[in-house]
Amino acid sequence: MPSRKRKRAPEPEPEEESSSARVRSLWSGTITFGLVSIPVDLLTAVRPRQTAMKLVDTDGHALGRQYHCSKEGKKLDYDDLVRGYETDDGKMVVITDKEFESVAPEMSADIELRSFVPLEQVPALYFQKPYFLAPAGKSAKAYVLLAETMKRTGRVAIGSFVMRGHEYLVAIVPDNGVLRLDTLRYADEIRTPAAIGLPKHPKVAAAKVTQFAKEIEALTHKELKIAELEDQDAKKLQSLVEAKQKERDDVIHPKGAEAAEDTEGGESAKVIDLMEVLRKSLSKSAVVRTAEASEPINLAERRAQREARSATAKKKTPAKAKRKAPRKRARRS
Amino acid sequence: MAARAIWKGELQLGKHNVGVKFYSAIEDRSIRFHLLHEKDKAPVEQHIVRKDTGKDVPKEEMRKAFAVGPNTAVILQPEELEELVPPESREIELLRFVPASAVGDQWYERPYYLGPDGHTDDYFAFGEALSRKEAIGIARWVMRKKRYLGAISVVDGYLIMTTLRRAEQVVSFSGIEPAKSATPQANELKLAEQLVKSIEADFDPEQWQNEYRVRLLKLIEAKARGEKIKPAPVKKKRAEGSLADSLKASLAAAKEKKVA
Repeated sequence: MPSRKRKRAPEPEPEEESSSARVRSLWSGTITFGLVSIPVDLLTAVRPRQTAMKLVDTDGHALGRQYHCSKEGKKLDYDDLVRGYETDDGKMVVITDKEFESVAPEMSADIELRSFVPLEQVPALYFQKPYFLAPAGKSAKAYVLLAETMKRTGRVAIGSFVMRGHEYLVAIVPDNGVLRLDTLRYADEIRTPAAIGLPKHPKVAAAKVTQFAKEIEALTHKELKIAELEDQDAKKLQSLVEAKQKERDDVIHPKGAEAAEDTEGGESAKVIDLMEVLRKSLSKSAVVRTAEASEPINLAERRAQREARSATAKKKTPAKAKRKAPRKRARRS
Repeated sequence: MAARAIWKGELQLGKHNVGVKFYSAIEDRSIRFHLLHEKDKAPVEQHIVRKDTGKDVPKEEMRKAFAVGPNTAVILQPEELEELVPPESREIELLRFVPASAVGDQWYERPYYLGPDGHTDDYFAFGEALSRKEAIGIARWVMRKKRYLGAISVVDGYLIMTTLRRAEQVVSFSGIEPAKSATPQANELKLAEQLVKSIEADFDPEQWQNEYRVRLLKLIEAKARGEKIKPAPVKKKRAEGSLADSLKASLAAAKEKKVA
């Protein structure tokens, strides 16, 4: 049963993955497609930005967050906390763990496909977060069949599934032989131009449209240019850091796990190599390539860092996980 | 009720500068809670403390550090971070236009409606031209001290700017060829296609709602009135069998449903 101790959403923590195919398995379950079952693992398809920093004091000691009671002034453990909802008239309604559980969606290991719709009918506005589905069963045949059938028919599957106490509306999209799962926004989360108060479409002079069309043509290309889409902030931050490191300026050596680790990964998430999984389950000779030039910066260092971190993480006591759950803002849906 | 614009900028395209206002296209419907101390229901305060000593650290002594190795990090001073902040500008630079299919969904992060700021004609003319070309524009700008990448597209004549993830974040494939053993047979493909067709529909987002949110709100309202509510659990089922058998059985079930 989901409880407040769980994280509220499938949110990969920053600074965890880096090599092109190392992704985290967040959930395992079954796609149900009529009476056909396809066992799958849900994997992250987006890496965190490499701009994450940790909080330290002026001497480089690692800092962390603590909750204190505003009345008593003393430190609280996570188990001392409850969630309260403030009504419009200022009343505080306390919702207990049990009550949260009573309304939570029933745990289920199924991604139930409800209908197949033309891909072009799903507006980009709806797409929230992408994941990959990797075949998990003994045979990948049903997986390949679903991907191939969707590709042939130009249809994507709309369905829903429950992960970590939340029910997600999803689209399953074939992507070069791999199934991608995109979480979708609900219709009531999307505004309309009318609701925003945008003006009505007036008649515009054809000559003006032609002028714009010409300007668009002049800049039209077939493909994206990856170099234009690189993380400028991360690059600038990285070069500043490198320059300072060279001059031994403000370089600190926080000791122990506490210091090296504070952007933790999902407690139970295993890091796996997506390419390896696909290669194993789809074919020994499968051709798997990543998009060109989407390598993250400073790979070697990052990898060393991650390995060191996972080595120290192993030594930690499970009690640690409990403290991680609270977030700055207590969101529940 | 008209929404408030969060930012104003200018699309730079050839000789044209098209003034636009940014409006969030997303309505945040998440239910927010306050964290309270269970014993006395007093709100909690967050303290930032040293992890080793548990002592409070005042704001002016907090720094950010960027990890460069397992036990090495570099502290960045506030004035250094300030220098990394990109210069403010109203300019939205259009880098290129590409066919809509060139941008996979995994790039999309957060959508904004753009509304005209000033020259309404230019705004709608640009929208018409973009929709006629069936293209989307890749844009770069600085908004509220942050750099953004975005894709500009048209829906019903209105411009939408969806922020894009960075290239380093997006994992994608250029091709996968399954082994012979995993390649479906012609009859399986045929059955699967029939099954897809049998539950084919138009995308109708209105029919789905976040039931958890609805139940949670009901619970809150009931509790606010001093009542209790009973949750209704959901059931599920599962089937086993060979792939072709399952396809056939599903197809039969789907047909029955259609007739009924």
